[in-house]
Amino acid sequence: MLVELKVNGEKRSADVPPETTLLKFLREYLDLTGAKLGCDVGDCGTCTVIVDGISVNSCIMLAAKANGSEVTTIEGLATTSELHPLQKSFEELGALQCGFCGTGMLMSAKQLLDENPDPTDFEIRDALAGNLCRCTGYTKIIEAIKDAAKNMRAA
Amino acid sequence: MHMTPMTYEQPKSASEAVALMQECGNRAKFLGGGTDLIVDLKHKPGTVSVLVDITKIPELQGIEESSEGLRIGSAVTYTSIMKSPVCQKLIPAVCEASHTVGAVQTRSLGTIGGNLVTCVPSADSAPSLMVLESVVTIVGKDGERTIPIEDFFVGPRKTCLEPHEILVSILIPKKNLGKTSFFLKAGLRKGQALSLVNVASALNIVDGKISAPCIALGAVAPTPIRVLEAESFLEGKEASDENLKKASEMAVATAKPITDFRASLSYRKQLVKVMTYRTLKSCVDNQ
Amino acid sequence: MATKPTQDLDQKTLVIEDTESALNAPVRVKEAHPIIYPLSLPETEERKATPAVGQSASRPDARLHGLGQTKYIDDIKFPNMIYAKVLRSAKAHAKIISIDTSEAEAMPGVYATLTGKEIPTNTFGPTFQDQPVLSDTVVRHRGDGVAAVAAVSEQVAQEALKKIKVVYEDLPVILDPEEALKDEVLIHPPKSNIYTSKVIKKGDVEKGLAESDHIFTNRYKTQFQEHVPIEPHASIALWDGNGRVTLWSSLGRITLGREDMSRTLNLPQSKIRMIGTIVGGNFGGKNEITNEPILALLSKKTGRPVKCTYTREDEFVSSTIRHPFIMDFTTGVNKEGKILARKIKMILDGGAYCSWTGTTIGKGSILAAGPYNIDNLHVESYAVYTNKTTTGAMRGFGAPQVCFAYESQMDEIAKTLGIDPLEIRLRNAFREGSLSPTSQTLHSVVVEESLLQAAEAFGWNRS
Repeated sequence: MLVELKVNGEKRSADVPPETTLLKFLREYLDLTGAKLGCDVGDCGTCTVIVDGISVNSCIMLAAKANGSEVTTIEGLATTSELHPLQKSFEELGALQCGFCGTGMLMSAKQLLDENPDPTDFEIRDALAGNLCRCTGYTKIIEAIKDAAKNMRAA
Repeated sequence: MHMTPMTYEQPKSASEAVALMQECGNRAKFLGGGTDLIVDLKHKPGTVSVLVDITKIPELQGIEESSEGLRIGSAVTYTSIMKSPVCQKLIPAVCEASHTVGAVQTRSLGTIGGNLVTCVPSADSAPSLMVLESVVTIVGKDGERTIPIEDFFVGPRKTCLEPHEILVSILIPKKNLGKTSFFLKAGLRKGQALSLVNVASALNIVDGKISAPCIALGAVAPTPIRVLEAESFLEGKEASDENLKKASEMAVATAKPITDFRASLSYRKQLVKVMTYRTLKSCVDNQ
Repeated sequence: MATKPTQDLDQKTLVIEDTESALNAPVRVKEAHPIIYPLSLPETEERKATPAVGQSASRPDARLHGLGQTKYIDDIKFPNMIYAKVLRSAKAHAKIISIDTSEAEAMPGVYATLTGKEIPTNTFGPTFQDQPVLSDTVVRHRGDGVAAVAAVSEQVAQEALKKIKVVYEDLPVILDPEEALKDEVLIHPPKSNIYTSKVIKKGDVEKGLAESDHIFTNRYKTQFQEHVPIEPHASIALWDGNGRVTLWSSLGRITLGREDMSRTLNLPQSKIRMIGTIVGGNFGGKNEITNEPILALLSKKTGRPVKCTYTREDEFVSSTIRHPFIMDFTTGVNKEGKILARKIKMILDGGAYCSWTGTTIGKGSILAAGPYNIDNLHVESYAVYTNKTTTGAMRGFGAPQVCFAYESQMDEIAKTLGIDPLEIRLRNAFREGSLSPTSQTLHSVVVEESLLQAAEAFGWNRS
């Protein structure tokens, strides 16, 4: 079936089997490999993307469900001249190690800050509850989000 | 982890959905948020070949207050409930319960109707809806019917729905909107945790005495249950610590938890006692 | 055709001007989210600072991670690439009577299947080669691969696995390491189930115990632990016309991997290229080959690049895990809590295959005594086969398990003798020039200083 949606502001479409997940649609049909496959059952959050302003596990969302929606992926955060403040803070504060959970973390963090520009520690942890990391212990990720939030409020 | 080839339908009305389901029989399943069904299909591929996505059906949307009460469409997501000012004001315990489900991503897709239809004993939305004496509206080939929410749950993963029937909406009656209620969940983690035990309580204090107390427990019986014995005990009594504790003991006696790999029977009983007391006390202290 | 890109930052458009074309019409590309970033994206100040020493620098991969541009194996694809999946054993311990892949092969979309018989040398392993690439005569744990399928998609490959018929003959299953010690059921006959052991002797432990005022005997057990790297194991194999195979893999040790490939495929190393890319978490679990020989052979059979990623279930059932330890500690102390002798017996649940047990038992045994001055020491360790998931390398290599034991016992001793837990450790801790359990003289020892600083930092009051 034909699935048409907007990804990072651009109209994209592909003819896919109906059971295709949004994750597979992005990774294999649109070559946007930022969102990752970690568990495939909506637990680890590496597949997190933003659909119509809310963060979802794309591995358990059918692409067909996202038909007509606006999807934001990691590839849509930076521009040719600027990193998103979250990407900048993650880099400067050394938030990531192997990086595999990174795209999911950044998308969840972006959705949080888009809605709540001054989150408390608890609110950050709550927003990241669906993103697992095995390398870092989360501390620097949370610091980086606080740092990015501070920079975004100042801007 | 894969799903077998399936077709995807997006009916435009509840009756269209019902007709589709009748036509396809057990080849088809209703798809809500998919946070449970899609995972299930990946674990057991080939069991379903038609997915009937009901999340865009107009009758299943919306959070509306009317003279009858607060109507929540079954396709409303946990996130929508949590963010709705009307829900926050009138049914805060249901918002709190919604917040305890999974994580942000789960709540964005998962629907409150889906939680009820999946019908696991630990369903987090059930206790808080039960203590507000909610009713649910179902549409099937024979038309519409509305039943108390307790009658909706039959057993673990079994509701009273016929295969062709669809849960359309939940209504919290007007008299219970704004009734003081609290929900507590115990899990092995603070996020992405299944409830070991969950409890909701609701009550009014009238002339210094407890009026219309309701207590519901989850994950301690084949379905979420009301604790009728404790409720009739508390009715008309003073809201003393002693009475609340006694009610909690009765809740323990009503509960029939099991030992599984997450928690033991005795620990669950202890949780029921403490959590019933705490939710009751919070209701009393926050009138 | 000469083109000149200019960046009009005010307009936020990237203009590419074709200066020679007759049309000469600029192409306006909206400045948003291109796939390749020009070098104009600023480098952080720290990375440009000189001298570099003393500066806080960001990781070079941090930029790519943040952009989502890091290419892990599953992000890589080749033209005409097909997908493989491996069928896991249905039994914990059984003889394989027959494997019938014909129905799978006949499925539309399936390119080829592979069984153990087709692997030139069907054994591998970092310590000794006791593990089959694909089991063909016996399965020893549920994670053993029995057959593999390469198909046009993962969906078809996984459906095809269901069509493979394997006939098993049950063998007795040994799950308890202490049961395995008895050698009543051999998991790798004719070898004993005890496949490696270690003994460390220092001084005279019986004499030390005899002179002790108190003797403490405790048993400690640790559990399985799976690395759960967020990135599952993944590899891609492809050949060129000169008969050289290239493996892209999440494997951590690529030279070792290449040796294993050479051995299993009977191919000279000059014909094998291993490319290890950025790994999404290893922690020890990606230190040996898994599917690589299978993919190489499937790729050869089908004439196409073949990719295989582990499912999360594969990760738990089939990939290596941390060794559970059963540790018996007998420690003799004097009245002041000074350790005079320590006798340790350890049993490592060695899983179905050896993997990195050699290193684990060595490290675990040496460190089992703890960072304490012990003149009389006897450590005896055994690793046994069981019909459970292969136990391999995992951060610590035996150290975390023994640490749990010796520190727990230290607390027991402190409690019984009424000595402050910090104090008792200070009385026994290594100092400059102390001898290790294997009589190595130790230098740059900071155990005491670390303990005191830590105690200060979390407010432990020394009376």
